[in-house]
Amino acid sequence: MPASILEGKNLKSNNQPSKKRTIEEINTKIRKGDIQVLPVSEFKKLVDSKGIQVAFNEIDVVTTGTFGAMCSSGALINVGHSDPPIKIQHAWINDVPITHPGAAVDLFIGATIGSETKGFEYGGGYVIEDLVKGDEVELRATAYGTDCYPRTEVETTITKDDLNQFILLNFRNGYQRYSCAVNGRDEIIYTYMGKLLPKYRNATYSGAGEIAPLSNDPNYETIGLGTKIFLGGGQGYVIGEGTQHSPSTGYGTLMVKGNAKQMNSNYLRGATFTGYGSSIYIGLGIPIPLLNIELAEKAAIRDEDILTDVIDYGVPRRGRPTLRKVSYKELKSGKLNLNNKEIKVSSISSLEKAESICRELASWIQQGNFTLTLPVERLSQEGQAKPMRQTKGGAAFVDSILQKAVTCEETEAIETVAKRLITKNVNHIVVVDTNYKLTGIVTSWDITKAIANGVKTLKEIIVTRVYTASSNEPLEVVAKRLTQHNISALPVIDGTQKVLGIITSEDIAKLVGGNING
Amino acid sequence: MVRMMLRFDNEKVHEPVTSQVILEEKIPLNIMSAYVNQQGGEILIDVDSEHAERLAKAFRKRGVTVDVPKLIEKDEVKCTSCGACVSLCPMNALKYDPSNKVELNEAVCNGITCGLCVDACPVRAIRLLG
Ligand code: SF4
Ligand code: SF4
Repeated sequence: MPASILEGKNLKSNNQPSKKRTIEEINTKIRKGDIQVLPVSEFKKLVDSKGIQVAFNEIDVVTTGTFGAMCSSGALINVGHSDPPIKIQHAWINDVPITHPGAAVDLFIGATIGSETKGFEYGGGYVIEDLVKGDEVELRATAYGTDCYPRTEVETTITKDDLNQFILLNFRNGYQRYSCAVNGRDEIIYTYMGKLLPKYRNATYSGAGEIAPLSNDPNYETIGLGTKIFLGGGQGYVIGEGTQHSPSTGYGTLMVKGNAKQMNSNYLRGATFTGYGSSIYIGLGIPIPLLNIELAEKAAIRDEDILTDVIDYGVPRRGRPTLRKVSYKELKSGKLNLNNKEIKVSSISSLEKAESICRELASWIQQGNFTLTLPVERLSQEGQAKPMRQTKGGAAFVDSILQKAVTCEETEAIETVAKRLITKNVNHIVVVDTNYKLTGIVTSWDITKAIANGVKTLKEIIVTRVYTASSNEPLEVVAKRLTQHNISALPVIDGTQKVLGIITSEDIAKLVGGNING
Repeated sequence: MVRMMLRFDNEKVHEPVTSQVILEEKIPLNIMSAYVNQQGGEILIDVDSEHAERLAKAFRKRGVTVDVPKLIEKDEVKCTSCGACVSLCPMNALKYDPSNKVELNEAVCNGITCGLCVDACPVRAIRLLG
C-alpha cells in the first residue's frame, strides 16, 4: 500500500525551498482525494533516499502507531434503566467486578480487574474485548434500594447494541518510550514487562520506537487535546496528557478516548500477564500533518536516536537500578549486550500490528474517510511525575532490621561452632571464606544432628545452596521468600557475595507486631 | 534432536524391525515411550537431527509409518505477534519474520521438557500437546 501510494500518483519531485502547509489545505486535499500520506516508516525511507527537503515537499501527512498493553484503561458504559429502576451499588459482568462511579446505571469496566471465578485468566480487558466483538455478556447488579430507585437486584444479558454509550477510556497511552526490563535475581519473575528469566538471561521492552506517535512529535506540536486518532480500530480523540505524563524526562503520555462500538478485536485484546494480572492490548494510531519542515525533520527520527534505560526489575523498589542506556535499534535487533554478554531481547508490544495500524490509518486518510485536527490545547512540555507521598508507616526494608551475622569458616571444628551457637544465642551461623564472602549456612539443628550422628567435620553438614537477601529489598518480599522455601533466616549479601548480616523470620515478625501496635 | 512417532501395524509388530534398523543403520536412538499390543504399536523416539532423514527412510522401507508429532501449537488468529515469548525460547523456535510477525518453528521446539513460552503469552495463544 505505502509504495503504491507513491507510485500511483504523479509526484512533482522538486527541490524548491521549503513551504508551509495549513491544516485546512491538508483537509481540502483529503476531501479531494489527492492527499500524499505515508506510514512514517516509509517516510523515513523516502528521507534516506531523497533527502528531507524533497520528502517534505512530496508528503503532506505521516501516520504513526503502536500496539501495546495499556493497563491504565477501561470502558465507561451506560446500561440504561431497568423497570423498576435500580441505583446500582455493586455490579459484575461475566463475574468481573465492575466499578460504579456515578449515578444509577453508569458503570466503569476496569481493564485490570480480575474475574471472581477465573482469577487472572479473565478480567476487565476481556469483558471489553467480548463486548467489542458483539458477544453477549452477563450483567449482575445489586443495590440497597431507594424511594426513587426501589429495585435491589438485577440480572440480564447484554451486548454492545444494548448500551447507550460504550466509551473506551485510556488514561495513559502512547508512552514516548519505555524502559527495557531484565532480572538479576536467581529466580524467574513474572512482571507487567512479561516473564523475565533469572540472572539476566533475557530482556523485554515495550513501545514501537521510531514509528510510535510521540517519538515523531516529541514537543507535542500536533498531538494534543482534540487530536483525532485511530483507536482500537475505530476513531477517537486525544483528550489531554496521560497520567504520569513526564515530559522533562522524555516519558510523555497521552489520555485518549473513543467510541468502542466501532472498534474491532484485531486492535483491541484482553490479555493476562501471568503472576501480575489481566490487562488489555490497544492499538493507537496518530496522523502527523507535516505543516513545516521542522515537523518533517522530527518525523525522520530513527531508532538509533531513541534511547531508553535497561532496568533491573529483580529489584522490587520504585527506584530500580539502571544498568545501561540502549537504543531502540539495538532492542529491535533482538540481541542486547549486557555485562559483556549477549542476551536475547524481544518486545511485548506488537511491532507488526503497529505497522499495520500506520498503514490502515494512511488508507483511511487516502480514501477521504479521515480528516485531521489540530490540538485546541497543547500538552504540557515540562514537569515530571511525582512519587507517592507516604505519610503513614512507610514500607520497611531489610537494612532497617539487619543484624550482625554470627559467622564461622568451614575449617573450624564442629564443637567450636556449637559453642558459638550457645554463647551468641543464635540458631544460624553463616559460613564465610577469608574475604568474608558467603559460602554456606549451618543451623543449630544441623549441628545437633551432626553431633548425635558422630559427623566429624563441619564441611559435611554445611548447606551451600543458600537463599539470600539484599539490604534494599522490602521486608514483604523477603518474608515471602522465607515462607516459600520454608526457612527461617537469610544471609544478607552485597553484589560481591560479601556478608552484610542476617535477617530472621523472628525479627520480621517482631517488626510487623510493632507496626500493628503502633 | 528430532522426535518421531513410529507406527507398526498388526503384522509388523511381530517383527524385530526397530532393532534391525538400529543394527543396520548404526544410528543410536532414544525411546521416549512405547505402546505395543496385538493390533499394532507406537514408539516415540528421539534421534540426532543429522540422522533423522536416513532413519525415517529406513523405517518406511520396512513398512513402518513415520510421523513427526506436533509438540506445540500456536493459534495464529489469537497471536498478536507481541513478541513476549521470543526472548524466552532457548531453541530459537519462536522468531520474528522480516515483517515482525512472530513465527513458530515446531520442528525445533523441545515441547513439554521446556514449556518456557506457554505462560508468558499474554493472549494464551500457545499450547503444548501430549
Ligand atoms: S516450549 Fe520451549 S522450545 Fe518450544 S517454543 Fe516454547 S520456549 Fe521454545
Ligand atoms: S507471546 Fe503469544 S501473542 Fe505474543 S508473539 Fe508469542 S505467541 Fe504471539
